[in-house]
Amino acid sequence: MAAPTAAGLCPRLRAWLPRLTQVRWSRYNPSFLEPEVNKELYQKPFNELSEEEKEKQELKAVHPIKAAPPSISSSVFSDPMISKFTNMMMKDGNKVLARSLMAQTLENIKRKQLEKYHRAPDDEKERVECNPYVIFHQALKNCQPIIGLSNITRGGKTYQVPVPLKDNRKRFLAMKWLITECRENKHRRTLMPEKLSEELIQAFNNEGPIIKKKHVLHKMAEANRAYAHFRWW
Amino acid sequence: MLRSVKGFICRPLKLDHGYALHMAAKDCFSSVVSQDVQTPAEKPRAIFYTNESDPIKTFQEACVMVRKPALELFTYLKNSNFAHPVVRYVIYGERGTGKTMTLCHVVHFCARQGWLVLHIPDAHLWVKNCKELMQSSYNKERLDQPLQASFWLRNFRTTNEHFLKEIKTQQKYVWGKRDSTEQGRPLGEVVEQGLTRVKNASDAVGVVLKEIKQQCCLGSFRVLVAVDGVNALWGRTTLKKEDKSPVSPEELTLVYNLRKMVMNNWSGGAVVTTLSQTGSLFKPSSAHLPHELLGKEGFDALDPFVPILVPNYTEREFESCYHYYLHCRWLQHEKARTEDGKEELRFLSGCNPWQLERLSAPL
Repeated sequence: MAAPTAAGLCPRLRAWLPRLTQVRWSRYNPSFLEPEVNKELYQKPFNELSEEEKEKQELKAVHPIKAAPPSISSSVFSDPMISKFTNMMMKDGNKVLARSLMAQTLENIKRKQLEKYHRAPDDEKERVECNPYVIFHQALKNCQPIIGLSNITRGGKTYQVPVPLKDNRKRFLAMKWLITECRENKHRRTLMPEKLSEELIQAFNNEGPIIKKKHVLHKMAEANRAYAHFRWW
Repeated sequence: MLRSVKGFICRPLKLDHGYALHMAAKDCFSSVVSQDVQTPAEKPRAIFYTNESDPIKTFQEACVMVRKPALELFTYLKNSNFAHPVVRYVIYGERGTGKTMTLCHVVHFCARQGWLVLHIPDAHLWVKNCKELMQSSYNKERLDQPLQASFWLRNFRTTNEHFLKEIKTQQKYVWGKRDSTEQGRPLGEVVEQGLTRVKNASDAVGVVLKEIKQQCCLGSFRVLVAVDGVNALWGRTTLKKEDKSPVSPEELTLVYNLRKMVMNNWSGGAVVTTLSQTGSLFKPSSAHLPHELLGKEGFDALDPFVPILVPNYTEREFESCYHYYLHCRWLQHEKARTEDGKEELRFLSGCNPWQLERLSAPL
């Protein structure tokens, strides 16, 4: 929500504007329903559907349906986390480039892990993880901080207060740290997929600069434990 | 000898990052080839740089799928009469269908049988992005390319070592004031001369091709000339002389000598070539037929030839490629093992080998 400014309008019209307006809102009529992207639901014959699903199907016959956003795909290989990460990597709306960088990163991870797999002795081969998606998800999970810091001003001074983080915020911070680390701390000639694959494999093994950053944040939160009572939410 | 088991599967080349990847795959192919023909296995391997997409590094093996066009070529080569003038085969097809891999398969087959293989991995590299162009000392109008010539000579030496000792020069060659190769010296000396004095590398290539052409008519050895991207020899170049005027292909020594090799005025071998639109210059991306890519000049020069079409994967070939990727752990996504995943890959790639490889890379 945001307060609208009406700098050029005369006072009578300014009184007509509401005090707060929604920043992100939808032009759809409330009667519009969300689209169903799950293929399996359509392949089930009518008799096997449960009661609520039958009701939903009947509702759909009467109500209009919203258009599906282009980021959702019914492909079996699509992953919402990977899409979110690709969007964060994207610059100036160049989704083609961001997607190809992501594909190259996953390929690099796969190649490095396959090499490690072939070099490992037979009894250790089972432990080498070659699936780039598993490595990606695990690395992100390892990079997520548990507790964050928030600025609270009391009596003129600003304190860093430890605060629990929501899931979305944790995921966002992990992805943001990963991308900024790969953009800034690399040699001019190394490419993004190479650096990203290196960082993801390190984060998967719980080592590397992003894990260190997470630990530094945790230590700061631990150090500022005294101010925790400043939090009111 | 060649194992014709259909279960042997291929990873088609990645043509998106540039044609240097062709070179690497073919270089590592030549290393696989020379391992069979000669015993020291480590020596050839050390020379070729391993590229990131090198299958030997990732899978510890390099495989080729046995497909119909290659088998067709093998029957033709087996039944060809080597007393007749040499037959030219042109492998053509849409982008990414496996023309270069078919050529590599034929090269491997002939090398196993003990032929002398003159393999030019990509003729397009000779007509573009050339850093050093020098005026040829032999003929004032022509231009030399020392880097490309020395690179090719090095690979030639590695793949055909024992032939270099057997073939003797039939005339004296004078390289400069103090260097000359006498008549009757082994061809290896000419190659060494080209490699040590890089200025004479293009002329050394010309001498090698001339000697091989003259001597293979006698019948002591068979020669396979394998050129990838033969349409580069008759197209246009992006090179410019010092006065910024454009260079046409016949003004380059390497191209001139290679054109003479691809003519059918000698006998005792075969010429297998591939058309390639991907590296070609000034050709639209929809052009894949011989007439479109070779142009009038090239078509007349190569005419008569045996055209060999390489189509997309059939159902069976797609299945075997998919199962190979699963077997060598290239497809790692859990959903890729399911029927839905397979159908999705089949639909998205349209059974095109290159598309399938590009799609399965991040999966």
